[in-house]
Amino acid sequence: MNSPRTFFLLLVALLVSCFGLAAHLEPQFQAWPGSRAKGDIFNVVLGDSRRLFANQFYVKADEYYHSGYYPTMFDDNAAFQTTHMAADTGAVNDKNHGDEHGFLGPTRNWIDAFGRHFFPDRHTHLDAGGPDDDLSGSDNVREILPWLKLSADLDPDNVQTYTVTAYWLRERMNNAAEADAVLHEGLRNCPDSYDILFELGRLYYESYHDPNRARNVWELGVRKWQKIYPTLDPEAQKDNRLIMEQLATHLAKLEEDAGNLPRAVEWFQAAQKVSLTPTLIQDQINRLKFKLGQELNPVLKPLY
Amino acid sequence: MTAILRTEKLRVEYRSREMRQATKVALAGLDLEVGAGEVFGFLGPNGAGKTTTMNVLLGFVPPTSGAAYLFGIDVRQPIARQRIGYLPELTYYYKFLTAEELLRFYAKIFGLPRAETEHRIDQLLKLVELEHARKRPIKSYSKGMQQRVGLAQALINNPDLLVLDEPTSGLDPLGRMKVREIIQRLKNEGKTVFFSSHELGEVESVCDRVAIIHQGELKAIGRVSEITGHHANLEQAFLEIIGFQTSTAP
Amino acid sequence: MNNIFAVAGVVIKELYRRKDFYVLFIVTILICLVMASVNIFNDAKIVRYLKEICLLLVWLSSLVIAITTTARQIPAERENRTLLPLLAKPLTRSQLIIGKFLGCWVACGLTLLCFYLFFGALSASREHQWPLLNYFQAATLHWFMLGIIVAMTLLGSLVFAAPSSNSTILFVIIGGILFVGRHLDQVALTLREPVRTIVYSIYFAIPHLELFDVRDLIIHNWPLIPWLYFSLALLYAVGYLAVFLTGACLVFRRKTVN
Repeated sequence: MNSPRTFFLLLVALLVSCFGLAAHLEPQFQAWPGSRAKGDIFNVVLGDSRRLFANQFYVKADEYYHSGYYPTMFDDNAAFQTTHMAADTGAVNDKNHGDEHGFLGPTRNWIDAFGRHFFPDRHTHLDAGGPDDDLSGSDNVREILPWLKLSADLDPDNVQTYTVTAYWLRERMNNAAEADAVLHEGLRNCPDSYDILFELGRLYYESYHDPNRARNVWELGVRKWQKIYPTLDPEAQKDNRLIMEQLATHLAKLEEDAGNLPRAVEWFQAAQKVSLTPTLIQDQINRLKFKLGQELNPVLKPLY
Repeated sequence: MTAILRTEKLRVEYRSREMRQATKVALAGLDLEVGAGEVFGFLGPNGAGKTTTMNVLLGFVPPTSGAAYLFGIDVRQPIARQRIGYLPELTYYYKFLTAEELLRFYAKIFGLPRAETEHRIDQLLKLVELEHARKRPIKSYSKGMQQRVGLAQALINNPDLLVLDEPTSGLDPLGRMKVREIIQRLKNEGKTVFFSSHELGEVESVCDRVAIIHQGELKAIGRVSEITGHHANLEQAFLEIIGFQTSTAP
Repeated sequence: MNNIFAVAGVVIKELYRRKDFYVLFIVTILICLVMASVNIFNDAKIVRYLKEICLLLVWLSSLVIAITTTARQIPAERENRTLLPLLAKPLTRSQLIIGKFLGCWVACGLTLLCFYLFFGALSASREHQWPLLNYFQAATLHWFMLGIIVAMTLLGSLVFAAPSSNSTILFVIIGGILFVGRHLDQVALTLREPVRTIVYSIYFAIPHLELFDVRDLIIHNWPLIPWLYFSLALLYAVGYLAVFLTGACLVFRRKTVN
């Protein structure tokens, strides 16, 4: 091996064998489902840990919703099991209990008492005035959007991120176009999501005032729910009853506004089957039935 | 003769890091006096205790027992160093400063007024021939230039006592001649110079008195002619005093 | 006092002649400008995330500058043998320590001024307001916290052998205090004796640096901290830095320098 020529030839041989091996293995690697080379940069860099980061940023958005007044892992966070920014949309099960205003508890010593002057010390929501109690600044809820966007980018499979983002874009920012784009992106990543379809229907109905498109989308949501619900485990089924109730009641309201009362009654009856408050829905059904009865027989006096 | 520098039974012991070895005695009761206006040479082989003596005089190391005084003030008081200048053997200074900034910094520590500071800086940079490089950072200086900056900072406060630790170490013949000239000049101005050196030829030519120290003990002190005695030169006398026998000795 | 100011002046000169500050400042500006250019649902008014990122970078940079600059002061003087000609002057060791502290602290203050000016300009570009008093409180508390850290690091540089080990230990300690310092008493409650007493003692002994981290108040536009509590916090900082500086002076007095 003293000759430089031998060394050079050996080097060339090694390079050729490396190249051959790479060429042989490349198709197998491309076909391998665990390959991180395809996909976005977060997938490549972080792998599955991106979901951890996505969850952190989702909670960060809620922290921003509270202007920094948020429990740490050492505080009592029973009142923050469900993020308030999601609970306020009305579209998720609220699992919170306990005192959201006083999770810090009484002061433990002089250092704790002194220290409370140096961080946010009051429970506020951005859409309800924030630290200044300034209701005219309720569109400050825009500040939660960057973290929701980042969370959605990191975990495209988390449905709630899209629905919460779209809700606040539509509800407070009056930005229906961006909300529309977010929901469509959500549908691309989660095509079977009835939550996203529900929120999309709200967008069409409340912002675009397009009942036909809203009806189509909500009915699609109902069909998807009916297909997926039986396959869920009992715990997941409990969590998924609210969305069906929401879809059905919104469809009922839409049909009522369109003057299609029998169809509205059918939708309320569908909602009643999954609702935790069936008596309240029964009142709605009775009201509609009375209205129907009045149309058929104008002599009947109203009950209320 | 007023003693500018004085030590009384100065003893310095270092605790050995090895468990079985006893403490090392660096200085064993040194009694020394240097008068005003003298050029005093402090000689000894490597490890004799010369640097330890200087460290005690400059306050770097506290004595185990005994005392040392500069201008009658205990060396442990910072004010004792108000009228001295010190040139260490290995000269390193803040590399990011220029020569001018370094001298200004040391002048401020001595509490010199601004006008006097600027005048002294101009004088000293001219003396050590660094005027052309005054605005360059010290990291760009050669070893000889750094040595000259060292000399300049030792003289910034116009000291009455100059302590030099091997001042000609690493210098070329021209540099050594420059240092000898400066020492002679200081002597003519009535300053006191206390320096250690291995260049016995130079010591012989500039010093008024010398002391020879060996293994922490003072072996001889006196005028150069007294120490040399019947020997041909100071080097021969030095070797005899420290007990060194040459292989060519009869 | 002249001696102290002279030593401090050299430390400040060293900082602005080294590259550290400029590199960190430029990196901060670049990252913030990139983050500011991100389109978030076509809404140009969103600003709090930008303030948080900017303030996080300011805090990280200031911690790095404070600790690394201070950690190398005395060890570098010893290694480069610049300590000897310095101590041969009529300068006490305590004056040297206080001068080094003052230099590092003022240098940190100057870097903070640059960082906070940039932060103010960045947030004003979107918010169109400049709450000067709030920024003043935040910057002052931040600066005094850095004073505690500089004093701790100076003491550490006399105790630990190498600047790298000193810096690492300080980063770990300071990170620990900032993240969990406030909650140590709650952690203590979950432990058994005698560990509980030890943790409680640590809780009361450590400087609570998290008191000086008022980023959330700035990011979310909370009102000013009452001036009484603000002043008490500064006094608290002065107390701790005096303790650490005294410790450093006492340790340095006993050290041989050659």
